[in-house]
Order: sequence, then C-alpha cells, then structure tokens
Amino acid sequence: MLTAMSFGTKIFQPKPPDKGSFPLDHFGECKGFKKKFMKCLHDNNFENAQKCCMKFVLCRNESKEYLERRMERQLMAREPLGKLGFGDLVNRQSEAKSKL
Amino acid sequence: MGGGLWGPRWTCAALCGWRRSHPGLTAGVAERIEHFLRLGRRGPGAAERGLRRLGTWRRPSLARGPSAGPQWRPKGTNPFTRAQEEDWRRRNKTVLTYVAAAAVGMLGASYAAVPLYRLYCQTTGLGGSAVAGHGSDQVENMVPVKDRIIKVTFNADVHASLQWNFRPQQSEIYVVPGETALAFYKAKNPTDKPVIGISTYNVVPFEAGQYFNKIQCFCFEEQRLNPQEEVDMPVFFYIDPEFAEDPRMVNVDLITLSYTFFEAKEGHKLPVPGYN
Repeated sequence: MLTAMSFGTKIFQPKPPDKGSFPLDHFGECKGFKKKFMKCLHDNNFENAQKCCMKFVLCRNESKEYLERRMERQLMAREPLGKLGFGDLVNRQSEAKSKL
Repeated sequence: MGGGLWGPRWTCAALCGWRRSHPGLTAGVAERIEHFLRLGRRGPGAAERGLRRLGTWRRPSLARGPSAGPQWRPKGTNPFTRAQEEDWRRRNKTVLTYVAAAAVGMLGASYAAVPLYRLYCQTTGLGGSAVAGHGSDQVENMVPVKDRIIKVTFNADVHASLQWNFRPQQSEIYVVPGETALAFYKAKNPTDKPVIGISTYNVVPFEAGQYFNKIQCFCFEEQRLNPQEEVDMPVFFYIDPEFAEDPRMVNVDLITLSYTFFEAKEGHKLPVPGYN
C-alpha cells in the first residue's frame, strides 16, 4: 500500500459518516426487510432506482422500509425521512393517503 | 655620499641647533622630527623617506586625534567625496533595513503558510480534504441528476489476523448522483470467541471519493461479533449532485467502494478521520 505512495501524491482521506455508525442488528430484527430489499435489487438488475420517466422507484421503497424498521427497533437514530433523501417517497405516500 | 650623509650624529647636531633657535616649538614636535630622521639609519633611501615623512607629518597627527577610537570618519578630505560617502552610507542602511524586513517577513510567511494552505485546500477541495458545508439540509434538498448513472461496485477485505468472513451482499448497484442508496455487507464470526473488529473504507477513483458521502455505515466504530454470529451491515450513502458538474468526473462511470476490517486490539488506534 504505502510503497505506492510518493511525495506529492494525494492521499485518500476517509470521511466519517454523517450520522455515525449503524448499531449491529444482532437479533436479525430487520432481516426480513433486508431480504425484501435484496430481492428487489436482484429482480431489477441491481438498479437502486428506476431511471425512466416518472415511474415510482421500487427498491428505494424497500430501503426506506428497512430504515424505518431500524428506527423502530432502536437500531438507528430516529430522523424524518425527508432528511434521509426519501422526501419524494414520503410526499407520494401522503398524497396517496389523502386521495383515499 | 649624498643622502647618506645624514647620519645620526649630524642630525642630532642639526636638531640641537634648531631647537635652541626655535624655543617656541613644543618638544614633542621636535622629537617626532628626530624620530623620522633617525629612520635614515635603516638604509640608503630611508633618508629620503624620512624627509618625505617630514614634509607630510601633519596628516598622521590628525589621524591620531585625542578621541581616537573605532569611530567612522570620512575617508576623503574632499567635501564632495565626504558627502558622497555619507550618501552611500545612508543608502546602505536603507538597503540593510529592507533586507532585514524581508527576512522577517519570510519567516512570518512560513509560519502563516500552514493554516492558510489548509484553508485553501478546504475551499478548493484539492488534496482530497473534506469539503466543508455538508449537512443534512443538503440531503433534504438535493435533486437527483437522473441522466447520469453511476455503477458502484463493492469490495470487502479482511486483515490477515481477523478471522471473519466478510463480503458484500451485492456485487454492484446503479445509482445517480443526488439519490440516497442502501447497500449491504455481511460478516460472520466462525470462531468460538467473540471478536471485535473495526473497519475503514476506501473509494476508487480517488477524486470521486470526495463526492462519496456516507450518511451512515458501520465503519470507524468497534463492532463486536459473538461466536458463530452473522450480521448484516448496511451502508447508507449518496453521491453528491455536484459530481455531475465536475469536469474532471466526466469520464467516471464506475466507483468502487472497498471496506477493510481489522481486529480491534487494546491500544491499537485506527486512524479515525477527523479534522487534521
């Protein structure tokens, strides 16, 4: 590793995660949701989100559910989903609810 | 015989006569003259030298004035040359002051360079240092750049002394900048003892690493695995939307995220990133 370094080469500086570290899920409480997410990824060829037009993204929904589960189980600090980049999903949900 | 005629006896006789006829003169002057004449003993031309000195004796007395000391005096007697010398002296002093000021300035600059360079690196983002100004507000308000698809591949490594089975659960994932994404790693402790590990990560290519932001992951904190335990380790990340606007990133379509796990030992400190 270090032998490749010479004076003047830029060194990669790892940044700490913004919200810290996930506590380990020792009891597998979120495993079901994780499995759903992985299945979704496999089915959609590992695309995190559908890129075409206004189609509702599937796997992002799964990841949102996984994170919600984590928050439920105290395995993640509770945060509004908008702050985690799921603002559009939350809006759509609330719209769907209001239509009903 | 000429000049050599001025032998010592003759000079004495001459001087004695001279002294008697000129009583007003100081004894010191007469002695000096005698001294110069006596120098004639040393050689044939010495008498002429002595005579010459006799003619010009006034100057040395001026030189060895009453306040003789390491004092600057103009080297020339001419008032013009004296003024010029003074002028040179003044100029030299100014130049010396300027040079001294420059030296002190350089020393100060070398001390100031460290925080200034750090500031410069932060504002321009060169050198891979942390780009300031990332907050949760940005995550909230960022707009995904839908036409730029980036493939993120995952790599997992384990240090030789750590006996975990650590691997990613997906080989790759397609994301766009500005969109948050979730990925999983899996770690299993096949041993019969609880093991504590700590991990660090790396992003290739290097320049893209500054756009790779992790909201939450499992790195830089000790993770304890019980015997025969297997856990899922998620990584929640996004790529900064400014990635799409960076001209250096135009050809970057593949980013590799690589995690390495080490065994956490007592007193062993992993270089945790921070402001440094």
